[in-house]
Amino acid sequence: MSSNIYKNKKPIIFFLVPAFAFLAIFLYYPFLQNILNSFKVINNLGSSAKGWNDPWFTNYVELCKDENIRVALVNTVKMIAATIIGQLGIAIVLSLMVDNIKRGQKFFRTVYFFPIVIAATALGLLFNLVFLYDKGMLNQLRELFGAVKLVDFKDNSHAMLTMMIPVTWQYVGFYFIILITGLNNISDDIYEAATIDGASRLQRVRYISLPLLHNVICTCGVLAVTGALKVFDLPWIMFPKGMPSNSTWLTGTYMYYHAFESHNVDYSSAISVLIVILGVVTAKIVNAVFKEKDY
Amino acid sequence: MKKMLAMLLTGAMVLSLAACGNSSSGNAPAQSSSGAEESKEMGGGSVTLNVTTTFAGEDTNAANYQEAIAAWQEETGNKINDASGTSAETFKARVISDFEMGSEPDVLFYFNGVDSNPFVEAGKVVSIEEIRKTYPDYATNMKDGMMGASPVDGKNYSVPVNGYWEGLFVNKEVCQAAGIEIPSADTTWDEFMDICQQVKDAGYTPIATSFAEIPHYWFEFCIYNYLTPATHNVLPGSVDDEHGKAWVNGIGDMKTLYEKGFLPDNTLSATDGETFQLFIDGKAAFLIDGSWKVGGIEGATDDVDNFTVTYVPGKNDRKSTDIIGGLSSGWYITKKAWDDPEKQKACVEFISYMTSDEMVSKFASVSATALKNGTQVDESQLSSLAVAGLDMVEGATGMASAVQDQVTQEERVPVFNGMPDIVTGKKDIAEAIAELLDLVAAGKTE
Amino acid sequence: MAATNYKIKKKHHKFSAGMAGVYAILTAWALTTIYPLFWILMNSFKNKKVIRSDSFSLPMGELFTFDNYRTAFDRVNILGAYRNSLVISLSVSAAVILLAGLASYALVRYDFKLRGLLNSMVVAGMMFPAFATIIPVIRMMNVIGLANTNQIPKSLLAVILPQIAGNLSFAIVVLRGYIAGLPVELEEAAYMEGCNIFQLFFRVVMPLCKPSFATIGIFSFLWSYNDLFTQSFFLKTKPEYSVTVLLSLLTSQEGTNYGLMASSVSLIVFPLLIVYLFLQKYIVKGLTAGAVKG
Repeated sequence: MSSNIYKNKKPIIFFLVPAFAFLAIFLYYPFLQNILNSFKVINNLGSSAKGWNDPWFTNYVELCKDENIRVALVNTVKMIAATIIGQLGIAIVLSLMVDNIKRGQKFFRTVYFFPIVIAATALGLLFNLVFLYDKGMLNQLRELFGAVKLVDFKDNSHAMLTMMIPVTWQYVGFYFIILITGLNNISDDIYEAATIDGASRLQRVRYISLPLLHNVICTCGVLAVTGALKVFDLPWIMFPKGMPSNSTWLTGTYMYYHAFESHNVDYSSAISVLIVILGVVTAKIVNAVFKEKDY
Repeated sequence: MKKMLAMLLTGAMVLSLAACGNSSSGNAPAQSSSGAEESKEMGGGSVTLNVTTTFAGEDTNAANYQEAIAAWQEETGNKINDASGTSAETFKARVISDFEMGSEPDVLFYFNGVDSNPFVEAGKVVSIEEIRKTYPDYATNMKDGMMGASPVDGKNYSVPVNGYWEGLFVNKEVCQAAGIEIPSADTTWDEFMDICQQVKDAGYTPIATSFAEIPHYWFEFCIYNYLTPATHNVLPGSVDDEHGKAWVNGIGDMKTLYEKGFLPDNTLSATDGETFQLFIDGKAAFLIDGSWKVGGIEGATDDVDNFTVTYVPGKNDRKSTDIIGGLSSGWYITKKAWDDPEKQKACVEFISYMTSDEMVSKFASVSATALKNGTQVDESQLSSLAVAGLDMVEGATGMASAVQDQVTQEERVPVFNGMPDIVTGKKDIAEAIAELLDLVAAGKTE
Repeated sequence: MAATNYKIKKKHHKFSAGMAGVYAILTAWALTTIYPLFWILMNSFKNKKVIRSDSFSLPMGELFTFDNYRTAFDRVNILGAYRNSLVISLSVSAAVILLAGLASYALVRYDFKLRGLLNSMVVAGMMFPAFATIIPVIRMMNVIGLANTNQIPKSLLAVILPQIAGNLSFAIVVLRGYIAGLPVELEEAAYMEGCNIFQLFFRVVMPLCKPSFATIGIFSFLWSYNDLFTQSFFLKTKPEYSVTVLLSLLTSQEGTNYGLMASSVSLIVFPLLIVYLFLQKYIVKGLTAGAVKG
């Protein structure tokens, strides 16, 4: 962006200071404290430190050795893949479709939003009942079609899939809204001109919508990877404590577990530092990947 | 003698006044200004107490509590600012951080176990002993030995109201269908194993439990079976000592339960809510849980008479009638309120009101109390399940508190979270216990 | 754009098979998103005892009950709680729209030394878990006298301020994407006509991005409304409760009262949906206004 208007840099201060002042006071300063906390001994959220860890970086050594962190990272990578392919993919398709229909745009925009407004506790209960072993919705359906043996959707071999489907489903609407807003920002003159030139609907999508949506898709990519790194509520309700047998930990649930269940706040702080670092790094990667792509 | 006491009292008053002056000058301006406003509003004489309790939400006593504080305010003209919350983890964090920042309430009803350690260690609550120096009659209707001494220094800081017990809940219909007798005070563990086998042969799940999420209750009783009420509540020094062996044997019995197929098919992947539902739906016969589950069962079924509760069958030196139970929360007065001459008396009066024999009987209902005279409960108001619970406690020959309460969540991990690996044989029992004990030892030295 | 789309589509009068397929897919997805809400509403009218065992049938005959709502209304002052929630969430979303708009405009349009660093810090800000930052924030609120005062406006403000910060990062990330997509030529044209930089932002960029700002506003509103964590630290006494805090206190975490949970969720969600429908109208309006100018 090298327009002449923006050569004079003085107004930057006015634009940036209000927002970053808020961020500095209520996020960055507290998080600096959190980084310090990761070197101390703290049992309960809110209680003061009992002193420094000995040696002070103990938690980070522990992070490298912790078997569950490894499980959590592997699962989180799977979750990132699921969010990018599943959530973002489905959301792109749905938003392009909705953008191209005449009737019912408003309706779909409204109903696709529903899963985001429902509290995770309620969705967790719903999905627990869908996947329930005995008399769950899915197992009952399978019985209808003649299956004799119940499937345990929460055992070791099914657990990750059982967890990823609801999470993916829940956030499709979120990306859908962001994308459809982006599509609405595209000036109609462009479409009109293309139509006059005889472009088909598919061609308009391929050569106008997608390229102009590029920035927004990139944004969604960043949101998807960072979201996968910190997601915890729905997975935690369906699979508390990494059940079964510590196989379903995510970085988000594992951090939550140490903050609230195991009363090991300092270790949880260390995990949150790891998550932030991973988040910034993966966001950079996403930006780089999307920037190179040429439409 | 009287003269001496008077002098002492005056001395204490002067001291506490001075302390108050110091602390209030250090307070945030907003707090003192709001305090001034309130006292203006109330006119002279009356006191406003900030009270925080866990009597909220679905706590069976939430309504009792609201009634009681309304009555007390009416009676005394004092005012109560109630900031109660459900005992979720964020609530605990809020209470602890309030103490940390000097904005703690005047009166607190809270846990007396390890959860209270932060503010007891910091000297921010007043011990019963201290209170009795000024108010000799304070909490004298309670048995001192049962008040729930602090793990920090063994002193009593809080006045308990209602306690808990753990027992074997039974689905009568399933027992009938399987053609078995409901276990009683005389049933032994070995007989219980036969009963479970019969239930299983009849096509039902004998025991509703999630070893993946909450193996806690079975852990407690299986270990108890190798100990006695007097010895149960002691942590092993090592895996090889007498207690360590009891733990190994007890967890071995849990493994046997799993191997014999007495647990739900998906006990290693189901949540506790799912297995509890098996019990309610008449698919499983037995469930070990706490006294709070009486309300849970009453709320989950239309036919509460189909359920009862009895002793968990015992073996070795533990009689079946030896139960697990205790008093896990109580009323605290904070140091801040104690040092405030305006509030001190009101706090004591308020807690005395809330812990009178009559009030405790009302709050405790089916659960255990520390009352010297016992509770007076009108059984006609209770469900048959609740009455069965009362009878069980009355017939108990011994009571021990849960040993796991001495182990923090973090230290429990190798045994509790590792239970699926233990019962499937992927992890050695003694090894898991040793890991737990190592964590406990590491926690002590910190 | 709705208007122009309409114009374009006039040329394809016949309803093609492809379009039918599109509608089929859209409707199928819509069913999956509507059903859970329906399921919750349905169970909120059902006897709490049967929800776990029989959650997928309609609340008819014996199953039907108003009990779950009666409990919710009996115990509490729910209107006051709605008012508190509304004050909090509206303030948060208004502040987020303005502050994030200003910041992301500068981050997109200006090229300056610290830009890369600031962009990364914004992404990092999205990742901070609430529990990791809450304790220092509580301490600050105590120092400046906003916490523990038993005064409703102060307590609400104590929630609003950290929530603004909590939603800013996300809003800046999203708005950056939108603003980057605006053709800079429009701003240049306005600049030629003598607009200064602030007029550019408030008269050109903001109107063009109305739908984007509306989207940001909706998400901020929603998260602020549902953010039980921050609220439960500052809203302690009954008159201060927000809807979310109040209803969470009815259904304690260990509670098995699924009926009460379903009615609570309905009481949280349905007023929200009405607000959302209202805001959607606004989006469409903003949209056409933008299109005319463009």
